[in-house]
Parts: sequence; structure tokens; C-alpha cells
Amino acid sequence: MKLSERAETALAEIKKKYPAEKSAVVPALYIAQEELGCLNEEALAWVAERTGVQPAHVRELASFYSMFYSRRLGRYNIQVCRTLPCALRGAEKIVEYLRDRFGLKPGQVSADGMWSYEEVECLGSCGTAPVCRINDHYFENLTPQKLALIIERLTVEKPDLSYSTILDSLGVGLKDYPKSEIV
Amino acid sequence: MSEAGPLHNEMVTLKIDGRALTVPQGLNLIEAAKTVGIEIPHFCYHPHLSVAGNCRICQVKVKGSPKLEIACNTKVREGMEVFTHLTSKEVAEAQAAVLEFILINHPLDCTVCDESGRCKLQDYHYKYNARDSRFLENKVRKVKAKPIGPYVILDGERCIACTRCIRFCDEITKTGELGLVGRGDRVEISLSEGRRLDNPLSGTVADLCPVGALTHRPWRFNTRIWFAKEAEAVCPGCSTGCNCRVAVRDGEIVLVRARLNPAVNKEWMCDEGRYGFKRFLPKPRLVRPLIDGSFAEWTVAAARFKQVLQGELLVFVAPDLLLEEYALLKEFLSKLGQKYSVVLSYRRRTLNALQALLISPDYAADFRAAEFAGLVAGDLEASYNETLQRVREGKADGVLIFGQRALLEEDIDDHVLQGLGRASRTAAVLSSAESKLSSVLGVVLPGQSILEKAGLLINGSGRLQYTSRVVEPPWGTKPEWWIINALAAAFGIKLGVSGDESQLTEHYLKNEPRLAGLTVSLLSKGGVALKF
Amino acid sequence: MGNHRQILLANIKEADQHTLAGYESRGGYSVIRRVLGMEPLKAIEEVKKSGLRGRGGAGFPTGVKWSYVPRNSRKPVYVVQNADEGEPGTFKDRLLLERDPHLCIEGMLICAWAVQSRRSFIYMRGEYCFPYMRVNQALADCYRAGYLGDNIFGSGFSHHMTLHRGAGAYICGEETALLESLEGKKGQPRLKPPFFPALAGLYGCPTVVNNTETLAACVRVFELGAEAYAQIGTAKSKGTKLISAAGHINRPGVYEIELGYPLERFIAEECGGVWHGRKLKAVLVGGSSFPVLRADELAGVNLDYESLQAAGSALGSGALIVMDETTDMLAAACNIARFYAHESCGQCTPCREGAGWVAKIFDRLAAGRGVVGDIELIESVCGQIAGHTICAFGDAVALAAQGFIRKFPEEFKARIKGAGKHLPNGAEDVSRLKGV
Repeated sequence: MKLSERAETALAEIKKKYPAEKSAVVPALYIAQEELGCLNEEALAWVAERTGVQPAHVRELASFYSMFYSRRLGRYNIQVCRTLPCALRGAEKIVEYLRDRFGLKPGQVSADGMWSYEEVECLGSCGTAPVCRINDHYFENLTPQKLALIIERLTVEKPDLSYSTILDSLGVGLKDYPKSEIV
Repeated sequence: MSEAGPLHNEMVTLKIDGRALTVPQGLNLIEAAKTVGIEIPHFCYHPHLSVAGNCRICQVKVKGSPKLEIACNTKVREGMEVFTHLTSKEVAEAQAAVLEFILINHPLDCTVCDESGRCKLQDYHYKYNARDSRFLENKVRKVKAKPIGPYVILDGERCIACTRCIRFCDEITKTGELGLVGRGDRVEISLSEGRRLDNPLSGTVADLCPVGALTHRPWRFNTRIWFAKEAEAVCPGCSTGCNCRVAVRDGEIVLVRARLNPAVNKEWMCDEGRYGFKRFLPKPRLVRPLIDGSFAEWTVAAARFKQVLQGELLVFVAPDLLLEEYALLKEFLSKLGQKYSVVLSYRRRTLNALQALLISPDYAADFRAAEFAGLVAGDLEASYNETLQRVREGKADGVLIFGQRALLEEDIDDHVLQGLGRASRTAAVLSSAESKLSSVLGVVLPGQSILEKAGLLINGSGRLQYTSRVVEPPWGTKPEWWIINALAAAFGIKLGVSGDESQLTEHYLKNEPRLAGLTVSLLSKGGVALKF
Repeated sequence: MGNHRQILLANIKEADQHTLAGYESRGGYSVIRRVLGMEPLKAIEEVKKSGLRGRGGAGFPTGVKWSYVPRNSRKPVYVVQNADEGEPGTFKDRLLLERDPHLCIEGMLICAWAVQSRRSFIYMRGEYCFPYMRVNQALADCYRAGYLGDNIFGSGFSHHMTLHRGAGAYICGEETALLESLEGKKGQPRLKPPFFPALAGLYGCPTVVNNTETLAACVRVFELGAEAYAQIGTAKSKGTKLISAAGHINRPGVYEIELGYPLERFIAEECGGVWHGRKLKAVLVGGSSFPVLRADELAGVNLDYESLQAAGSALGSGALIVMDETTDMLAAACNIARFYAHESCGQCTPCREGAGWVAKIFDRLAAGRGVVGDIELIESVCGQIAGHTICAFGDAVALAAQGFIRKFPEEFKARIKGAGKHLPNGAEDVSRLKGV
């Protein structure tokens, strides 16, 4: 089976960067996840074929790494850091806010397919805690109110918050949203 | 550094629990300790798989090392001082802790688990821990009773993540069906979608699994191992001669496990061989002699048999008789004074690459023994086919069919039956009551299966091995060596080897100059390579 | 930021520092040009002389690590930059990668020359997408400028550098797990022996794995000279360190300090003291992998390797997590224990089962169902994890948990059934920290 032309090309280019083909398996998984929306069986089979890694071992990798998902998530997946530094500065309130606002449990997707949230471990932004990552963008120094505003803007503006492995580019993110100052 | 090679193996002297020992360089501590009868418990270590070092139960104390070392990954060094659980409280505590850790999420399945009674976790727990559980939490739940292939069934909760099964499929069969998905205490054995564990050696993972996470489907729930008797045998499926341990209960084979033999099968077995033992115990069984297709008394049948032997003979021998039997037959035929030719039912088999990892391209377990005994030589398959053809063409006058598989099932066609029917003198030793041959043969004596005998076999590489009796033969049957002796006696021929069952092999070994110095006990420890 | 000498963060505030032009305008890539003219072995000696120690967590002397790579290896030598920053409380590498990516690249080139490596990788944690784009661009610019490729800086030495993205696994910060991951397998640490990276690392070849900050510091080591670098810091802790300060302080952030700086002063001055005017209760130094320190244990403790080790903690990654008087230590312990249970790779028995067990006991305590013997049980379990695992993750699980229960025994004892309530500030269900 084949993915889109650009996905196949992207992987072919990425493979060139490694002395051994198998090293490209994680990038391949990212590409498949991006193209197919999640790492379903089709995606895993494609990765196995393209990288020469046994299908069972591809499945191992898909389940080992936290950033691979076997089910589709919301268009915006809000990953709230729950580790100690963020917890100390109110991460719990962020999670509570999301739970109450969307009426969802972590991992569940809203009916319109727009939203999901989950708790993740330390995102490496402890100086601006509490922090969440929405798709591939960080949103720092959060409060429930701030997050509410962010969600409003996302609903209206629908920006691209994802990093594309296929295009090797990061979505523009929320326009004019203040970048963190972690110094 | 010494040069590699059997003659230049540098020896290393070290101490384990205060005992000095000298072992070849390159040995790990588990193997070294074994040489002095010290068991270092281990789950993930296997001598023929890569070192994983994940179970941590083989930890030992090495003088000079601040932390405990894992014995499987530590090679012997000159002057090393090692302390096992026998002399180190720290080691004993660490081992007990590993068992405790394994057991916290391990399901309380012993009452319904096939592994019970032969389970390393049970055995080690009683030996190295035997403490009550301190775990008050909820156990992690995983998949239960999931068939993952035609022969193997998985219980995810019992798995201790030793990765033996994964390493076997990656390193030996290179089929890579298995993986451990997830992270932390949620790891679980899994296959990829649509894939099954179906390589030709698949059942081996159930042998390798130290617990009841992977068990054999064909034998699921059939018995508790402690009700069965086990015999150390050699598989008669092909000329590889895999060493195995066969459990029998009430005459039924209830479990076949591979035995470790680095020179033959490591600790692997093919599915065909392992699950196919039944085919060597035909049902229903011939337990009385036949004359012209009807039951007869032994004395009458034996007399008739003697008559058949008085004249030129075409002799077909089965490829799974014992070496002693081939030797006896050879001696008998040569002393009989008749013209005779012997062929062995050898047919070459085509194997794919996976099968060829372990299986030999034949269904002839002991053909090399027949060669060693001087009974057959040259192109066995061609000779067999030619002789069959002669029978088909009605050119056979005296035919002796010695052993159930002396004629292959697929070769018993109408022409062969006609040819045999036309021959004036025909006799056979068979074990199946439903052989098509019985109706056309003059006399048939009820013989035994290789599984019902104890004795010597030579595998395709020339390795002499000893197999123990697996099942008791049915009353009324006689082993082929006994029949040869009886026939010889009827002719007044004294054979060199005793026909007494308990000493058959010993006597044979003593009387065969090429095997001087060998004994059953020596051969039982993995066999001996012969050069001939 | 006080009077600290800014070596690593010297140019961090410049708006264009992440661009090649900006980097070069402030002297960037002049050091590697000079180093390329040095004998590789001399370069290693310089780093040894400087006393630079690994900045990622282990603190192993960097020059010594480089010297383990066999000379004239017939196998290719690899350098891998560990940008998998995942230790809770640590966010300093991110700063460097985002704002001064060329410093990280130049540092790696110095290492590459010293160990004669022609191929290197930057392994960056998957969550860091913005830094990824910055480094990506920086690499492209370097290739265009001839600073990477077949003849770098016209020196005749060729070097190719690849940026590799992780996919969310804390354990991949462990150097051998990182190599496994880079080879396309699960990030499960390797057995040492035999897989010491310097001898059998990436693809079984000699490999140096260094933290981002360590490599960045190498540029300064050669810029200032080893002797001058060794003048900074203390006897056993040379140079400066980036401290990631977080938690209940007024000014969380990344600070560069001279090693040896007093911890309490750092919190009070650089970090602006404990927030909301509250009292300090405890700090975790070096990340979550070392025993917590009580406020009353901090007198005389300095931010360097030896002082913190003597205090029963460690400098580690240079993370500093400050907890004020309202912090429930059981909740903190639950939080960290759950982190480890989630991140355990699952390879070896004590950590795989033990990390989950410890987290479950803490959770049960927090839910009010603790029983007599639970604290002792945690101690005992931790005691059987530490030192018995394939990698230091197991030790971290144990040290973290033991730290909490040993330093704040009363808070944990109070959670045992029938022992009476003893909760700070009247908090109730405490498995989850309330934070603010």
C-alpha cells in the first residue's frame, strides 16, 4: 500500500540522513500518523514495509512512545503537563477546567471531533508552569481563564498548531500569542 | 589472549561460594556454577539466545564489585570470587525480591495453569523466596487465553517479560512474529495485526517460556504434569534426532518438551516432530500374529516366518529401528546363509528455509545407524525405489518387510500389493492393525514402535544418541530385536549381542569395537559424535 | 540575574542569536576554526584540563569520556547530542536549542574533531517542536555555509550532522536507551558491560553521547582556555551551570551561575524568594531523581557537584524545584512516583514492577487507605529496586520515594489509618497537588 506522493518522498529523503534504514522508523511513524490521522493497522503495515522492521516490532514502537496514538484525537489535542513543577503551580486546575468545560475524560474526543485532552509528563517548560501543549505548540503561564481565551481563539481562527514531518514545517500557531520568556 | 580452538581453550580458575573451580575461558557464571552443581536461578538467560539480562534473578556478588552482577552477563575471570545465595545474604535477598516483584502482578492462576508443577516461577519461589505476598494493590490486567498461533496460546498476565520468546523468533527463526508492546508494568506480548505465530518451530516458545504465559494448545488442560511419567527420548520424526522429554499418562503422550543439546537441537523442536509423536503409535494396534491375513498363534506364525526366510530375500527395513536392531539383523542375515539384499525406506524431502533450520530433509530418523551396522549403503533412495519396482513387476520371490515404516504409506499401491501377493514367500513385522499389507502377506508378527523401545540411534550428522522408552508396548507385541533373536534361535544361530532387554545396549556397545569405551550413561549426556 | 558571569547565556538575549549571521557577528564559529587546527588528542586534553563535567545529570568528566573512544578505530565514530531533556524541572537545554542553536552545533563540532567523528546526531525530544525548527534551520544554514558537509570550514575534515526527533519517552534520555531509540528500537537501556558507548555505541560503533549544555560549554572552554575555565567554580566543579529554577518561587527561569554558588542565596536572590511570602519547605535539586532536601538542610549547601552530594542530593541536570509550606509531601511523592511508573521502560523486573507498586502504595495512602507497615513497605521495596536494575532509572525511583518518606516521616505516618489527621492547611484528598 502507498501513502501520498509527498509522504513517500518525505520518507525517502529522511532515510538518506541515516546510515541504517531502520533508524528512520520513528520518522516513518510520524509520517504515517500525520497522513492517516493516527497509527492504525494500515499505518503500521506501511511503516513495516518501508523500513524493513518486523510488523510486531513496529507495533512495539507505536505503543512504547507517548507521542504515537492508535486512535484519532481531537483536531486540537490539549496535553496538560502533570509533573511536579507544573502541579505545584496549578496544573490540576487546568485539568479540572478542561474536564468541566468539555465534559470529557482524558483521551476522549468531543462529538464535533475538535477537542481532546490528556495529562502528559514534564514538557520541559517548568519555568513557565503550568504549561500545556496543543498539538505541537506550547502554551505557557496558563490559568484556566487564559486557556479559555486560547480555546475561544482556536475555535474561531482554527490555526495550524502541528508540526508536519512530511513538509518539515511547524504550523504558524496562534497569531500574536506571546512567546514564552524562560530566561 | 589464547587462540581460539578446542585444543587451546584457556582455563580459568575462580572461586564460587568458597569452592575453587577451573573452567574454560568464556563461560558465564551460570554455566560455571553448574559445573560444580550450584544452581544460579535464571529466567531470561538461555545459552543459545542473546543475553537479555532483564529478569535480574541471576544476580550474584562478585568480590570487588560494589553492585551485584548478573551471572548471565558476567564471564569468568582468573581469581574471581563469586558468592551466590548460598553464601551471600545480599544475593538471597535480591533474588527473593525479584520473585516478589514478579509475583505482585502475576495472576493466581496456578490452579488452572498448565505450567503448574513444571513452572520455574513456582520452583524458584519455593526455593528462593517462599514468603507471603505483601502486595495490597490491584494487579495489572492483560489478555487471557488468547491463541496466537495454531499451536501456542498466550496468557498475557502470566508473562514475566523475559523476552525469550521474542528473541527466539528474532534470532533463531528470524520470523519476528512477537513483540512486547507498551511500557512499564503494562508491557504485554503481542503480534502484529493479521499475523500468527506460525513458523515451523513455533511450539518452541512454549518450551522456552519459564511460566505459563505461552503453553501448547494441543495439550491444553489435558493433565497435571505430576500424574505423568517422563522419559528422555530422541524424536523419531527425522534424522536430526532432536532431544526431547516426553510425558506420558495412561499410555497417552501428554507433553513433549525439547531437551537441551547444543550439538543437535539446542533446545528447539519443530512442530511436526513435537506434535506428531502420535503417528508412531498407530491405532488400532496389531497385537497378534497374522497368517495369510488371519490371526494365528505365535509358535505357528514363527514357524511360518522361518519358512519364509529359507530362500533369497529382498529385505525392506524401516528407518526408525534401533542401531542394536540393525546390527542384530545384519548379523542374522549374514549368518543365515541365504542370498539377500537390504533397502531402507529413505525418501528425500523438500524443505523451505525455515524448516531446514532444524528439520532434516527426510522422515528417516535412524538411517545412519543402518549404514553404520553395514546393513545398507550407497544411494538409499535409489535402492529403495528400485527394489520397490522389482516388487511391482512381480520379480520378487522372498520379501521381508521389517518394521511398520519399512514400506512408506504412499508406496503401498495396487501394483506393490499385487507383487507381494504373487511372491511365494512374504513376511513382515508391523505394528498397525490396519496395514493394507497384512492381507497379502504370508505372515505378520506384531512389532513395536521406536517409542516403545530404549536404545541407540545415530542422527544424520553421525551423532550416537540414546533414547529411553517413552510408552509401554501393548501386551502381545514384541520388539524387533526380540523377534530377530527368536528367529535366529530357531535357526540355531547364536547372535553376538544379548537379547535381554535390560542389557541390549550395554552388550551391543561392548561387542562393537568401533564404539569401545562408550556406555549408556555417557551417551545419555548429549550423545557422542561418530566419524564414519 | 545578579553578578553571575554569563558564559553560556552571554548572547542569549540577542534577538538574532539563533541566526547564523547573528551568531557569527558575536564571534561564533571562530573557536571551531581554531580547534580544527589542533591535534585531536590535544583537544581532548584541553577538555580534561578544564574539569568540565557532564551537564545532563551524571556529571561524568567530559574529557575523560572523550578519551575512551579508541584512536584509529576502523569503525566510524559517532557523536550524539542528548537533547532529550526530560528530567522533571529541567528546561535549560531548550533555551540553548531555541535561542543559541549554533552554540550547540559548534560545541558538537569541537567534540567531533576531538574524537575524529564524521557523523553526528542531535537527538531532540519529540515535544520540542519550536526548538526543532530552530536547530533545523541552523543546520541548513551551516550546510549552506560549508560549516557542515564534506569539507567543513575548508579544513579537509568532513562532518555530517543529522537532527533526529524523539517521540515521547523520558527513558530515552539515558544514553544507551537513546542509542537504541536512534537505531530504530524501543528506548530500552543496554547492559554495560558490554555496551559502553565509547566502545560499542551507535550501530555498535564508538560513540560519544553528551548533553546539549555540555557541548555548548565546550565552545567556551576553548574560547577562554582550559586554565581560565578551570578558574571558575570550585575544586571539583569547574565552570558555570545552567540552573532551571521552578516551583513556588517568584522568578522561575533559567539562570547561569558559577558552580559553588550557595543554594539558599540562589533561591532568595536570583529566584526572588518563595512566592506569596510563604516559607520554604523543601527543594528537589537535580530533578526528581534525588532525595528531597528539607528547608532546614540547606544551610551551607552550594550548587555544585560535591556539596550537593555531601548533602545527600546531587546537582544532576541542574533543576531546582522549590516547594513552599503549603505543599503536601505525600501529594508530591504521588506525583513523582506516578511519573516514574509511567516512564519506566519495563525491561527489568525490579523497576518494571517496583515503580508501579510504589506509585500504587502512595496513591492508596493518599486515598486514605494506608495501613500500618506501608511506609516500611515502600522503604523495603525501594531498597530492592536500587542497585538491582539495568540502568539508573531504578535508583531514581527508589531515591525519590525514599527521600520523601525519610525527610517528612510525620506527614506519611499521619496517613496510616487510625493515626489521626495531620494535614497541612486542612487539605483533603491529596493525591493531586492543588498548587496555587
